[in-house]
This record gives sequence, C-alpha cells and structure tokens, in this order.
Amino acid sequence: MRIVQVKCPSCNSPIYSKQRDQLFYCDKCNVLHTRNGGAEKLDFEIAEFSGSSSGERVFVPFWRLYCSFIIRSKSVEGGHVFRLMSWMKDEDGSGTLFIHIPAADFDPSTFKRLAIDYTVSSPKYRSRLDFGGVRRMPAMMSREEAVELADFVVVTMEAEKPGVLQRLDYSLTVNGSKVVYLPFVMGQSGLTPAL
Amino acid sequence: MADISVGLNCPACGGAVSVVEGESTLLCPYCDSTLFIEGDQGVTTIAFRNKVNREGAMKASRLWWSRGWKARDLKRVGRTIEVYPIYLPFWRAMTRVAGWICGYEIRRHTDSKGRVHEQKVPKEVMVLNDYRFSEIATDPGDLGIRSLRNFSGETSFADFDMIPTFEATTSRDDAVARAKSDAQSRARSSAKVSRVTMERLHVLPRRLSMVYYPVWVVRYTYRDRMYMTTVDGVTGQVLSGRAPGDPLFQSLAITAGTSVGGLAAAVGIIMSSVAAELMIVGLLAGGIILYITYRFFRHGSEIVEGEFKNKPASVSQTIKELQSAARTLQEAYR
Amino acid sequence: MASIKCPKCAAPVAFDAGTRFIKCSYCDSQIHIDRSGAGFYYAVPFVIDETNAMGLFRRWAAGSKKAKDLDKRAQVAGVQKQYFPVYMLKRNVNGKEQVFFEPAGSTTLPGLHALKVPAGDLKIFDSSFDTSGAELIKPDIEMISYVDSLPGKPKEQALVFFPIWRLTYVFEQKRYDVIIDASAGEVFSAVFPTRSSAAYMLVAAFGFLAFAFEGVLALSSLTAALVLMALTVIGVFAASFTVARRL
Repeated sequence: MRIVQVKCPSCNSPIYSKQRDQLFYCDKCNVLHTRNGGAEKLDFEIAEFSGSSSGERVFVPFWRLYCSFIIRSKSVEGGHVFRLMSWMKDEDGSGTLFIHIPAADFDPSTFKRLAIDYTVSSPKYRSRLDFGGVRRMPAMMSREEAVELADFVVVTMEAEKPGVLQRLDYSLTVNGSKVVYLPFVMGQSGLTPAL
Repeated sequence: MADISVGLNCPACGGAVSVVEGESTLLCPYCDSTLFIEGDQGVTTIAFRNKVNREGAMKASRLWWSRGWKARDLKRVGRTIEVYPIYLPFWRAMTRVAGWICGYEIRRHTDSKGRVHEQKVPKEVMVLNDYRFSEIATDPGDLGIRSLRNFSGETSFADFDMIPTFEATTSRDDAVARAKSDAQSRARSSAKVSRVTMERLHVLPRRLSMVYYPVWVVRYTYRDRMYMTTVDGVTGQVLSGRAPGDPLFQSLAITAGTSVGGLAAAVGIIMSSVAAELMIVGLLAGGIILYITYRFFRHGSEIVEGEFKNKPASVSQTIKELQSAARTLQEAYR
Repeated sequence: MASIKCPKCAAPVAFDAGTRFIKCSYCDSQIHIDRSGAGFYYAVPFVIDETNAMGLFRRWAAGSKKAKDLDKRAQVAGVQKQYFPVYMLKRNVNGKEQVFFEPAGSTTLPGLHALKVPAGDLKIFDSSFDTSGAELIKPDIEMISYVDSLPGKPKEQALVFFPIWRLTYVFEQKRYDVIIDASAGEVFSAVFPTRSSAAYMLVAAFGFLAFAFEGVLALSSLTAALVLMALTVIGVFAASFTVARRL
C-alpha cells in the first residue's frame, strides 16, 4: 500500500478536490485524468448551460462511446421497426453511433432513462472551456464498466420498439471514448436537463 | 516486528493522515492535497451496535423453545448454561445487473372438443436491478448463520472492544464472485422466461463492505445434551437453533401422513376409471405427503432451524429437495 | 496482546489478529500493518469447556442417524484438550485475493472433510497467550514450503492454532473418535455407530398401504372401511410412537 499525491499528469500541479471522484480535473491546465494503475489523461468536453430553469446547476459526467456495430441477424415477433436502422450506413447491417452512459451514481431507472435519451438523440451543445465554478457530480463508473453497459443500451433500444425481440446477433466495437459533462439543474422534481 | 508497521504520511507535506479502509482517495487535513491510495485499499468496514442484553437474548431463546414441534417439556427441563455475544463478519455486496432476456413460453389449452392447442407466447424482459448479497466471512461452524437478514441499525464500533470479534477468513474476491453469480441467477429467475432464445446480462459489482454483526449465542442443556440458539443482537430475533424434538409429534406426523397420503392414493385408484392420469396424480400426491411426514418421523428427534448444512427433519428442506429432484427428472425426460 | 513499534514515536502499540489499521495511543498517528512479509502465529481461545463439550457430544450422539441411545450408552474413554495447527495463507493471485488452508502437521482430524479454520476470535499467539492447559500439537511442516510453492504474491500468512476437544468413546466393544470444535461448537466424526431406518420405513409403508386399501374398500363397504381405518390409525400411532421413542 502506498499513498501518493494526486498531481496533474500534464503540468504536475497538485489537485485539490473536496469530493470522492474517479476523475481528477486540473483547473490550471484544464486536463482531466483518471488513475488505474497509473495516471491516464482523458478526452473531455463540457457543454454550455442554456435555458433559464431555476435551481442548483450541476454538471453530470457521461461516457460518450463511439461505437461501430454489425448486425448479422435478428428476429422479432410481431414487429419490424428497427431503431438501429437510423444509424446504418450500408445494406449489410453495419453502422456507427454514439452511446452515452451516465457515469455518476444513479438508481437503475434514472440510469436507463438518461442513457437511452442521450443515445437516441445525441445532445447538441456549444462546448465551453471550464466548469465556471459549477459543481460536478462525481464519476463512479470506470470506462470498462461503461463499455459493458453499452451493449445493454443497444439491446434496450431495439427491444423497446414494437414487437417482441427474440434474437439479436450482432457485435459492438468501441472505437473511442470521451467524457462529456452535460448541464443539469437540480430542482424540486429532481434532475432536469439544461441544454 | 517493527518492520510490519507502516506510518501513513501525506507525501506532499509530511503530515500524518488517516486512511478510511475501502476508500481510494483522501484529503490531507493539513495541506488539502488530494491523495490516492495505490495497491490494497482494504474494504469499507462497519459494525452494528449491539442492542440486546443477556436477559433479552435468554428471553428470546426461551420463547423459541415453546414454538414449533420441540420437546413439550423443554421449557421445564431446559437449563440455559451460557449466554454471550460475538461479532460475526459478513461480506455485503451490491451488484447491478443490466440486460435483456428474450424467449418464449408455451401455453397449452384444451378446446371444447378436447383437442390440445399449443400457443407460443414470445417474451422480451428487461432486467435492470441492484441486488444485495451477504455471506458470512468465516467458516459458519455450527452457528447456523450464513447470511445477514437485517441490514439496518445503528452503526458504531463502540462495543468492539467488549465483544469477542470473529475474524474474517474467507477471500474478498471469492465473495464478489459469488455475489455476481447470485445476482445473475436472481435476475434470470426474476425474468420468468421459460425458453430462452437470447440472454445478454451484464453484472457489475458496485459496492463491497465488511459488516460486523452482533449475535448472541445461548447454550442450554436438555437431559445432559447441549443445544444452542443464536439471537440477532440488533433485532432480538432468534436466527438459528437446535432443540430436542418430541416422539409424540414424530408419531402424530407419520399417522397423519400415512392416512392422508394413503387416502389420496386410494382416490387416485378409484378415479382411474374416469381418466388414467388421475391414478398417477393420486399416487404421486400420496407419495409426496408420505415422504415429507416420513422425514419428520425419521429425523424429528432434533429440531434444527436456521442456515445449517443439514436439516433432515425440516419440511421446507424436504420440499426443496423434491423440487430439485423433479427438475432433474424433467430435464432427463427432455 | 502483541505490540509493534510506532514508526513515528517508537511507542509500543498493541494490535490484534484482524487489525489492518491502528492508531498510536501516544502520538495519535495512524499505522498500517503490512503482513505480506512476515509470518504470524494466531490462536483461537477455548470457548467451550469440558462439561459443555460432553453436552455437545451427547446432543450429537442423540442424533437421528446415530445408533439408538448412543448418547447414553457410549462410554467415554478419553478426553484430550488440544490446539490443532493449520496454515492460513492469503495471497494475491492475478489481482484476485485467494485464501489457502494447508496442513501444518501430518496428523489429520477425523471427519474434517476440508481443512479449515473454524469460526473464532483470532488472537496473536505469543508467550503471553494462555493456552489454558491444552496440548499444543507441533506443526511438522514448515510454512516456508507453502509460501514458496503456492501461486501469487503473499498478502498474509499465518499459522493458526484452533481449539479442539478430542473424545474417544467405546460402543459395543468398538472405539470411535469424535472432534469438537471448542470455538463454534461443531462436531466432526468420520465413523460412528449408525441406526437402521428399517423399522421407521416399515411403519410408514404399512400405514400407507393399509389406508390406500381401505380407501378403495370404502367404495364397496363404507362401514367396514371406516372401522378398519380407525384401527389402522391407532395401530400406526402406537407402532410409530414405540419406534420414535425406543429405536
């Protein structure tokens, strides 16, 4: 067991944080990193707030996974609408999409709602350079876990279409990942997107 | 043995820091640096406060004596010899399962002309749930306790020095592996899809902790023989126990079992003139009733409650064994 | 209790078998105990005394599978209070924690199917530990042979002495051995005099067949069947009560 000081892998300045978070952000040089064996810099984006909903503003971390898929065969009882169709490029059943996995600690139903909503329609935003003093929700999920759950999101999108899914033979490859901080407002009714 | 002690200092300012087991990061109280623990971080440990006293444990144990099919003179003859609390270690894990199980089930129905129709009902079931798992972190010995039943109560290490603490001797990663397979099988059975065509389940361990739970051990004698009960130190409920049985209940059980079972078989034989299957149904029902009561008759001289390895007289264990035997037969038949 | 030297102020700090982190009571600094490089000796205190061990043996001997009245008729020929040694090795195998139990001596315990450390309050075993008069079975296999041959990296290794009562009893001119775990009260035995199920089965089979026959008979002659049933109830009850009490 060894205790090390968390320092930015880019500018080597120490990182001060008040919360337990898997992701460490350096506000000196604007670098995000995680530690799994050693320090690893992460690609990330911060989305600008818009709208005027009142409440506490908060940034929620998502893993945005750039994935390609190939569908080999599929069978559905009593339905034929095909959601992955919209991302399909070729006749052969392959395509690419962005899968969004919420990385903060959510209960199962919130997790699913956020993942499906942002994967079905990728959020469009102006990105900003820093957090501007707005609180970040701590990330509790590693990229490896997010990759595991990408498959769940894909199958959920297919299964929640009309008809009863019986079989989906496909493969999913994660080609790239990025951490995206999306803006939310914490109100009386819970989290509401502030994009 | 000075070489085994390692002082914990902030690498930035040298100040002494305190590590909370199971946490990977901490803040230096002097210089505010974020510190990261590399290597073995340990496991979050909590202890439940003991809320039961000696009298409470004895009272619960004596109440338990008079419940169920235990020796009728136990209350009169039984003597409590020892009552003492212990802390038992448990692994507690939270596991999230996310996935889909697709398939179908076959429904059979008979129409007015007596023809049997088979209908295939397709199913797609989402599984998205957090499952809690607990398992004793030591050899359970003869305590009859294997998992936690209660997860709430005041947590504090205040009683830790007063109550003997049983040490954890099982592997943390083995416990996580069992938590994962337990969550997977519970998720699978919750989906209730009998014929599976596609299963994609993802099992993610989320939190693991070590829970020290107070348990009172009550040892008592009955005619020179020593029996025991264990009492939950938080809720005051009896968790497990061994008690002498009573030959009267054993013989009443078999008398009832042979008469009801025999008559069920007779009804089956009589009804076989209407439909041949009814004879098999009757004989089977009679046989099952007979077997359950026979087990109690044969082994009911000791009543065992709780998570013991072997509970030959227990009706619920007999039924479970019969169910698994039926499942094996069914699969062999297929 | 054993103690270590505080790396800050050199004061002795008492620690126990399960301790991983401890606070120095003099300078209040937290100390991590790293067990990967050292071998430890642990022992579990005796909780069950001789009288209670005999009571546990009698309860076990009265079990439904043991010969009838074994609890009363077994002659206890010898009682030994012993500490039995087992190695407990915690190792990190490919990033996963594994616990191995290995024999520390060539003697084995009857009825103990897998080597284990029974549930108990592990204490550091040193000169101050009170063995309460129990015979210490000396390990004759070195710990180092396991440390070198087992897979993975060491996390903790210990020789654990666990408390047992070793009972020898005679039943119908034959000697049997039984081991009682003196911490959690488990009873181990490899061979013991057994009881036949024949009488139990006979009563059950007779009752079942008689009632099945009488049930069918009720169709043709209800009164005769009812009388026979009443007789069977009395007969089965009397027979089963005798069997349950005496066999």
